[in-house]
Amino acid sequence: MAALAAVSERQKAFELLRARLSAKPPALPVEGLIRTAIPELDLLLGGGFPAGIVATLEGKTGCWSLAAGLVARTTRRSLVAILDDGSLYPPTLAQAGASLERVLVVPVRKAVAIARAADILLRSRICRLVLMPAVALRDVVWTRLASLAHRSGVLLIVIATHAGAALQSAAVVRLHCVLERIITHGQRGLWGTIAGFDLCVDVRKHKYLAAGRTACVRVGHEEIFDAALP
Amino acid sequence: MLLCLSVLRQAQDDSGEIMPPELWEEMLDALDAVSPLVDDVRPGLAFLDMHGISGDAPMWIAQTHRTLLRFGCALRTAVGANKIAAWAALHVADGSRCEPGAEGELLAPLPLSLLEIDPATIERLRLLGIERLGDLARLPHGPFVRRFGAAAASWHELARGIDRRPFVPRGHAVAIEASIFGEGRAADETQVFFALRMLLARICDDLERCGKRAGALRLAVELEDAEACTLDVPLATPTAHERTMFDMLRAKLEGMTFAAAIVGLRLQALQLEEGGEAQALFCADDLDPQRVAVTIARLEAALGAGISRAQTRDAHLLEERFTYEPFEPPPRAMLEKNQTQSELVPQLRLLEVREVPVLLRGGEPAVVDRQAVSQCVGPWRVAERAYTSSPLSRDEYDVVLENGTFARIYRQGSHWYLRGVYE
Repeated sequence: MAALAAVSERQKAFELLRARLSAKPPALPVEGLIRTAIPELDLLLGGGFPAGIVATLEGKTGCWSLAAGLVARTTRRSLVAILDDGSLYPPTLAQAGASLERVLVVPVRKAVAIARAADILLRSRICRLVLMPAVALRDVVWTRLASLAHRSGVLLIVIATHAGAALQSAAVVRLHCVLERIITHGQRGLWGTIAGFDLCVDVRKHKYLAAGRTACVRVGHEEIFDAALP
Repeated sequence: MLLCLSVLRQAQDDSGEIMPPELWEEMLDALDAVSPLVDDVRPGLAFLDMHGISGDAPMWIAQTHRTLLRFGCALRTAVGANKIAAWAALHVADGSRCEPGAEGELLAPLPLSLLEIDPATIERLRLLGIERLGDLARLPHGPFVRRFGAAAASWHELARGIDRRPFVPRGHAVAIEASIFGEGRAADETQVFFALRMLLARICDDLERCGKRAGALRLAVELEDAEACTLDVPLATPTAHERTMFDMLRAKLEGMTFAAAIVGLRLQALQLEEGGEAQALFCADDLDPQRVAVTIARLEAALGAGISRAQTRDAHLLEERFTYEPFEPPPRAMLEKNQTQSELVPQLRLLEVREVPVLLRGGEPAVVDRQAVSQCVGPWRVAERAYTSSPLSRDEYDVVLENGTFARIYRQGSHWYLRGVYE
C-alpha cells in the first residue's frame, strides 16, 4: 500500500510539474519571428515561426498549402529553397502569391542527398526558409540540421505525413493539420468547383508556447468562397 | 573633329554577310595607331576622336586607309564636327569633310533613313510630306515632339546638325592570368586549393593594379597523364575579391574528379570590367549574388543536378503549365519588396502517374482506387494535338475520397490515372 501511495505521490508531482511547465513556457523571442501571412496561424504561433529552428508540418492534407502561404510571405524579401522530390507543382505555388523567381528548386530524391542539400543551404544562409520533405534520417543528422538552422537563423520546415521519433525530438515546433471539411462551389459535376477546405491545425509541440492549442484555417480562393458560402 | 569609319566586308553586297566580331575587334585594335579614342558603335561602324592628333582631315583619312589596308575590306571614311555631321559626310562621299557650321546645309537633302528612324514612322512622315532631313528641320520643334513622342526631339535636333550623343571610348583588352607549371605534382585537394590561392592572389593584385574586375575565370588543369581540362567559372557579379573567386572555384572543383595527379594550373581572368563594385550602405538584408552563386555551385557539385527556378506558362495540360530554367543569382535590386498578395490555395502535388481502378455511377467516378468518392467535380476536357499523329484527349476530375484524400484524376481512353493530390 505504501509503495502504491508513493507511486501516486510521484504521479501527482509529475502532473503538477508538467502543468507548471505548460503554463509558463520560456519567453518567445519576438525578434526574428517569421510571419506566415495566415492570421490564424500567426495567432496560434504567437506571431509566427521563430527563426533558426526546425519545424514540422504534419498531416495528410493541408501541409503544403500552409507552407505555400509561408513561401509567398517570405519571397517578398528573401529567397526560399524547396527540396523537391519531383512533386512540386509551381503554378499553384504562384497562385498562392509566391515569387517563383525567388524560389530555388533543388531536385533531390534520395534521403542522403536531401540531407546534404539542406546542410549546404543552411550553412550558406542565402535563404530565410528551407522546405524539405520528411525522409528517414538518423538522429544525429536531424540534430546537426537543427544546430545548423539555429546557427544560421534559417527556418527549416519539414513536411511529413507522420514525423518519426528523431524528427519529433529535433523539431522545436510541430504543427499537425487535419482536414475538417471540403467546400464545394456550384453543382456536382461539370459546373462544380472545389473551392477549398477547412483545416484544423493543432500545436503538438512548441518550445515557447503551450502545446495543444488549435486553430481553424480556411484554404482556398477567397472569391470562390464568397460565392460558395452562404 | 570626329572621323567616321564604315567598314564593309568585300562580299557583303552579294551575300549580306555581316562583319565577324573577331575581325572587327582586330580592326579596332589596329585603329589605336590612328587615335587612342575609338567609339565602337557596332560591328562595321566606329567614330575616332581626332582632337589633338597632328595633321588634317585628308592625312587622317589616308592614315586610316593605310592602317586597315591589310584587312582587305571596303572602307568609307569622312570627317565632321560631331557624329551626325561625320555620318552625313560619309553618306555624301567617301573621304569628304563637313566643316563646322555647315551641318544643316549638308544634312538637308539627305533621306530620313539616315537618322535610323523606324520604317513605320518614316512612312507616317512621308504621308505628311516630310521626305528629307531639311523638311524635318523646318518643322516647329514643340508640335513635332508632341505628335511623335520624346524620341522626336532627338531626331529634330539631329536633322539640324545638333548631336548630343556622347562619345564613348572603347575599353582596351588586358590579359590577366597566372600559372604554375613544372613545380611538382598535386594529388591531394588541399595542395590544389593552396596553389589556386597563390594564383588568385597574383590575379587579384593585377586586377587591383589595373582598376578592373573579372566577370569570369578560366582554369586550365594539366594532369600527369598529359590530359588537360578547362573549367569556365562565371562570377555572378564582376569582382576583384580573392575570397569570392576562391569560393566559386572550390565549389566547382568539389564536384570534379581527376584521373591523375595535377601537374599544372593556369588561371585566367576574363570579361574584365572597369571600376569597383557597387555597394549599398544599408545592406543588412541584401542578398549577396556571389554567395548565392557559390551555394548553387556547391549544390550542383554535391548533387550532380542543376538548381533551377520555375516559370509558369499557359498550357492546357497540367504538366505543361510550368518549366524550369537555371536559377540565376538575383541582382541587388531584387531587394525591393514584392507586394504580390498572398492567398492560401490548395497545393497540388504531382505524383508519378499511375493507373487506378475506377468504378462509375451515373457517368461519374464513384469508387477510385478502392475508396468511395464523397465529392466529385468535373469533367474538364483537355484535347491537345488534335491534328497530329498522336492526339491526346483527357477528362479531368477533382475527387474527394472517403479517406480524406483530395486528388486530381483523369480518364484517357478507357483508362483512369491518378495525377496528383492536393495537400
